[in-house]
Amino acid sequence: MIKLLGAALILFAGTMIGFQQAARIAERPRQLRALSHALSRLETEIGYGHTPLPEALTRTADTAEEPIRGMLRGAAAGLWNADGLSFRESWDEAVRKHWSATAMKKNEQAIVLRLGSTLGISDKDDQKKHLKLALLQLQAEEDAAREEQSRYEKMWKSLGVLIAVLIVILMV
Amino acid sequence: MNIDVSAIFQIAGIGIIIAMIHSVLKQMGKEDMAHWVTVIGFVVVLFMVVRLLNELFQEIKTIFLFQ
Repeated sequence: MIKLLGAALILFAGTMIGFQQAARIAERPRQLRALSHALSRLETEIGYGHTPLPEALTRTADTAEEPIRGMLRGAAAGLWNADGLSFRESWDEAVRKHWSATAMKKNEQAIVLRLGSTLGISDKDDQKKHLKLALLQLQAEEDAAREEQSRYEKMWKSLGVLIAVLIVILMV
Repeated sequence: MNIDVSAIFQIAGIGIIIAMIHSVLKQMGKEDMAHWVTVIGFVVVLFMVVRLLNELFQEIKTIFLFQ
């Protein structure tokens, strides 16, 4: 009786782990798209609105979805505070702090961190150029993420169940 | 005599599941991992067979080489 219960629990856990991995893989392109939207909005704020950077960040954060919103808000908060953080430090800190809450990987983090070291230190056109560059790179990452999703999402779903069944059989 | 049939079923089950994992991984283009899974499954089954064989030889020893 208790053996059966344990087997059912292991099966359930394995299935759930597989589905969670699949969901994480499916989430990545969506978040990359959201990040691209946020950055292009920031570009508009800088290019046409001539908004100062902290305010532009706050406004962009207001329209973004959750993991991205927290990140942008954190970066803006670091600038509003009177700690004397430069934009790069504040951006770095916010990105690193909120990155684990997203489904995105190291590549995207490198792109975003590099963007942080170029924003807010030069004129409008230069910043727009750097934002365009980051957007292009993010677009490439998104394409790669989409391909990965179509390949690995189903694999994780079936693999979780299969490994759970294997463990159950081994432990009988 | 009581032959333990469940061990045979267990080995058969491991074989089926390993074959399924192999085909899933191969279909997704991770052939190297698929082969590793097969090898590991083979080793696990080998250990189980070795244990059964050990029992068999002990049995033979106690029957023929009675000290």
